[in-house]
Amino acid sequence: MLKIPLNLPVIMRKTIFAILLLFASASTNAQNDTIVAHSPGRFQFSISYVSSLIYPGLSTGTEYLIRTNDFSIRKNDGNYRYISKSRLAEVSVNWYHHTGFHDNLYLTVEYVMRRTRKSGLITEFAAGPGFSRTFLGGTTYKVNDNGDVSIIKHAGYNYALVTAGGGFGFDFSSKVKRPYSLIARLNMIAMFPYNSTVYIRPVLEVGFHANPFLWNK
Amino acid sequence: MRKILIIGLLILLSGCQKEKISFSSNASETFYVDNAGASMRVLVEGNTLSRTFILVIHGGPGAGSFFYNTNYISDHLGNKYAMVYWDQRNAGASQGNNNGGNLKLSQMVEDLKKVIEVLKFRYGQDIGIFLLGHSFGGLIAADFITTADYQYMVKGLINLDGSHNYPLNDTLTRQKLLSVGQYEISQNRHTDDWQKIINYCEAHKGNFSLEESQQLETFATTAEDYIDSIKHVNIVTEVLSYAITDKYPLTSMLTNLLYSEDADFNKELAVTSFSSSLKKVTIPVLVLWGKYDFTCPIALGQEFFSSISSTYKRMSVSPVSGHEMVVQDEVFLCDEIDNFVNDNK
Repeated sequence: MLKIPLNLPVIMRKTIFAILLLFASASTNAQNDTIVAHSPGRFQFSISYVSSLIYPGLSTGTEYLIRTNDFSIRKNDGNYRYISKSRLAEVSVNWYHHTGFHDNLYLTVEYVMRRTRKSGLITEFAAGPGFSRTFLGGTTYKVNDNGDVSIIKHAGYNYALVTAGGGFGFDFSSKVKRPYSLIARLNMIAMFPYNSTVYIRPVLEVGFHANPFLWNK
Repeated sequence: MRKILIIGLLILLSGCQKEKISFSSNASETFYVDNAGASMRVLVEGNTLSRTFILVIHGGPGAGSFFYNTNYISDHLGNKYAMVYWDQRNAGASQGNNNGGNLKLSQMVEDLKKVIEVLKFRYGQDIGIFLLGHSFGGLIAADFITTADYQYMVKGLINLDGSHNYPLNDTLTRQKLLSVGQYEISQNRHTDDWQKIINYCEAHKGNFSLEESQQLETFATTAEDYIDSIKHVNIVTEVLSYAITDKYPLTSMLTNLLYSEDADFNKELAVTSFSSSLKKVTIPVLVLWGKYDFTCPIALGQEFFSSISSTYKRMSVSPVSGHEMVVQDEVFLCDEIDNFVNDNK
């Protein structure tokens, strides 16, 4: 089970709490009518566990289906392989906690290229820009020229960010007729300017994607 | 929904907690010192109840302080004193934005001063602090103790294979590579490898450029591999064995190291010397050296030792160590430091 560490800065906790509320509100019936009336199948919501080695995190977002193209390939044995190629735009808010180093809260906007086979197997590649705000992993002190020491609240840095990654998963809509999928993806995030250079970090994401508006159809 | 609100409220309320600074025989506390565009990580581990702190000034530039935090040091120094691991700017877990313009030796000395001031703010003005400067950290330490009256902020200095004079360092490295190389060839050991080093040294006799200086340093590192008497340690294995437990930010450490190694300030370092100002130094000093250190040869330590004016000074040489005594002769290192700190705390 994911735990939000209690030693996180207040501003971060507020942000995480806001993200949780946003996600919760998206799945309430009160908002279904309006969104369904526009395009019920085009939006999906996702929530993922993200991790770099042993450092936990969370990601939540929404993806918008830009277009989809179904086609078939004739195999050597004469049978056909049916593939659906989709292009999506995904906006997500992500966070990870690296004890003693930093907490990183970052927003990404990605262009997703996804292929789904008839069996439900998904492969995808995604890339896009983002924005990162880090919170240093410890109390941060500043000393002025007179030697007076003070504490900087919510110390951290803003970075531009680029993310790219690929992964695979399974779309359950073809097998169990449910509009959800599980996707694992390995992303590389690059943040800059980081100490006048670029900070690169691999992030493994294991996520649940669902369209709550189609859940009961 | 109500549950979410309650959980959220609990989280927000817990954010009002203030930082607790603990004194214990087994402390482990991370904090950051912000100065001139850099937030530098400081890890305090060990016995803070002792009120005696050993502040590690790591090598590099850009190497980070993680590698000095070994189990042996924790068990044999950390049990008696508080070990302070400071990541210099653009090193280890230290963070910032566009701060490369402040990567200068003089700025690092001011950073060190502020780290000491924060230590005293956190743990009390009466704590005793000893500096432990290794390799490039020895250059920062030499600059620090010869600047104004900064030396009186600390109780003593441990110079561990540190460099206080880069031009002299290069000359001595070349001399040692030549003399040891010729001896090793006469003993028919690693003849091809040594011959390559000797050829380079004979072709580059002095007034070294930065590139020549870096090449000599590279040869100095590889030369240790050709000496059988040295305790050989696989640094990669060593790093990986601590990476998970000590929560290394590996990619930050790597990018910081690559940036600092190639930064312009290395040109400034290549001509930096504190030999003439060392006579100002009066605080207790322990000089520790590896017999087989080619990177900072023992003659450099002897010059440092004879230049300072300290009434309490001691120089000791490990018979099996090269440049990395922290892993090559940790028993010798910890015993010597323990005796020195105990005598002067």
